[in-house]
Amino acid sequence: MNLVLLLSPILIPTVGALVLMMLDAFQKEDGGLAMPTALLHFTAAAMALALWQRGVPSDTSALHGFLAIDKTSLFLDATIALGGGIASLLAGGYLAEHKLDRGEYYPLIAFSTAGAMLLVSASDMLMLFLGLETMSLGVYAMTGFRRGSPRSAEASLKYFLLGSFAAALMLFGSALLYAVTGHTDYAGIAEVLHAAPANAAADAAAAIQVVTRSRISILAMLLIVIAMAFKVGAVPFHMWTPDAYEGAPTSTMAYMSSVVKAAAFGAFARVMLAVYGDAASAGSAAGWPAMLAWVAVATMTVGNLVALTQTSVKRMLAYSSIAHAGYVLLGVIAAPREGTGTTAYASVLFYLLAYTVSNMGAVGALILAGRRGAESVSYDDLAGYARRHPAAGFAMTLFLLSLTGVPPTVGFFAKFYVIRATLDAGYTALALIAVVNSAVSAYYYLGVLVKMYMRDPAPGAALASPMRSGYVTVAILTAAVFVVWMGVMPERWLDLAREAVGAATAAAPSAATAGGNAAP
Amino acid sequence: MIITLGHYLALSSVLFTIGAAGFLYRRNALVALMSIELMLNAVNLTLVAANRWLPAVQGDAGTVSPPAPSGHVFAFFVIAVAAAEAAVGLAIVLSFYRLRKTVRTDAADMLRG
Repeated sequence: MNLVLLLSPILIPTVGALVLMMLDAFQKEDGGLAMPTALLHFTAAAMALALWQRGVPSDTSALHGFLAIDKTSLFLDATIALGGGIASLLAGGYLAEHKLDRGEYYPLIAFSTAGAMLLVSASDMLMLFLGLETMSLGVYAMTGFRRGSPRSAEASLKYFLLGSFAAALMLFGSALLYAVTGHTDYAGIAEVLHAAPANAAADAAAAIQVVTRSRISILAMLLIVIAMAFKVGAVPFHMWTPDAYEGAPTSTMAYMSSVVKAAAFGAFARVMLAVYGDAASAGSAAGWPAMLAWVAVATMTVGNLVALTQTSVKRMLAYSSIAHAGYVLLGVIAAPREGTGTTAYASVLFYLLAYTVSNMGAVGALILAGRRGAESVSYDDLAGYARRHPAAGFAMTLFLLSLTGVPPTVGFFAKFYVIRATLDAGYTALALIAVVNSAVSAYYYLGVLVKMYMRDPAPGAALASPMRSGYVTVAILTAAVFVVWMGVMPERWLDLAREAVGAATAAAPSAATAGGNAAP
Repeated sequence: MIITLGHYLALSSVLFTIGAAGFLYRRNALVALMSIELMLNAVNLTLVAANRWLPAVQGDAGTVSPPAPSGHVFAFFVIAVAAAEAAVGLAIVLSFYRLRKTVRTDAADMLRG
């Protein structure tokens, strides 16, 4: 197939970002770039779907093993592009309302989206690094976009320093893997790492080499896991998350908490399954799933417990995004299990899409509730909001219910599938902890609803009223359509995710045979 | 003494650890940036040394060709991206300095809870 066509989901935002930069340079006044940026993203999503429909060619040798364009990456590409499109629409409303509407924001979103797609398609350590940095550099700049605000500057400083540190850890992991295997592509690394040490017993020198190799490869795995835990905001590497989310412009927070997280998880699952998917590394007793299980428990529990104590809705959503990272980790932990692993991997993809639309919608509803000079970020700001503005209040309610996991919204099924996959893989305790956590999380999500519907604002307090913005309305409606649509027919969407995962294992036979994971 | 790949790996591990320790213990944003650069250079050293020690590729007809230079190429990419990262990072540090008149990371304490 034509290489340009194959890469079109990535090329559209890349070329589009360049065009947007030119448009921004030559237009007389700022503003007006939100719609082209959103269309760009939706076109990229449509191209990903078209490629999916047409069927991904099995022969992708033209990519030389750098990128894996399969149904997994197309599914994640579409998720990322959808999230990016909604985020650009939110930015169109938010930045204009708060007098931040400078045109460079939109090329930054488009470049970050291209990086995110590169990240989820990467099947080589070099591409993983390039995608990660392309995505992150844009988001660092978008975080510090409110240049006059010390909080915004502080948020981007923290995010930048810890993000770069994480990238350096990941790079050193990749470099060590290259040193012991001589390969940078996942398949090549896995092949050398898991080659049966047949002659090792006979040859003492070779045996020592095999031991060194496996020790260094475990060190490299630790470095890569820590770096990815930073990127997805998993405990104990989550410190930057609430600060960066709170200080960033709210439209950037929407992008960071949905798209960046989805991309990081997509890449994380792929690299772990492709490189460390073998029985020895992924066995339940001492392998990485057991290690990640502790991380997942800590992530869910800390995220939820700290979210309980927040007075700012924006910061609460930041901690809730940490808790959701914990739920997604459950699926990643169950993914290498033979037999049930495929469904677990599919539940991860389903969760990422579901979380992207639910969270994007919730942040969008929060943006809608804030006017210039009076951003509603605390629980108290929202007192009585839904009674005064039923439609805007209902939008917030819908998305918060989805984040809580109340049927028939998509959030319920996302959690249900992940927890079912955890049970199928035999991690009963983990599943129980997830259910308890999910119940705890209802307290702070429903706290917003109680404020909105049942409390009166304090006397003399400023009344929150929704801003008027076509962009934000369209963004919220788009997110709402997906929340309800996926909630009404979850099985069909899960089947799509299953199909996405099945294709991945067929397209990467060496990884599948080396890993023995997810064989259909 | 014969210098082997192991020596290079040991050196780069030491460099990387110094960089990581500097990042974790120093409270100056510029020093943190330099520490990250040091970590990236440790990565480059590993990549280039590992590529140098890769065995030559034995062809079918008994020909011997040098190994693929993927480590060298990777190092070039790291250098280029590190430059982009430094550009964004310095801009962020500068904007922080303009607002707070300091580059100490413990001054970044407005967001907490």
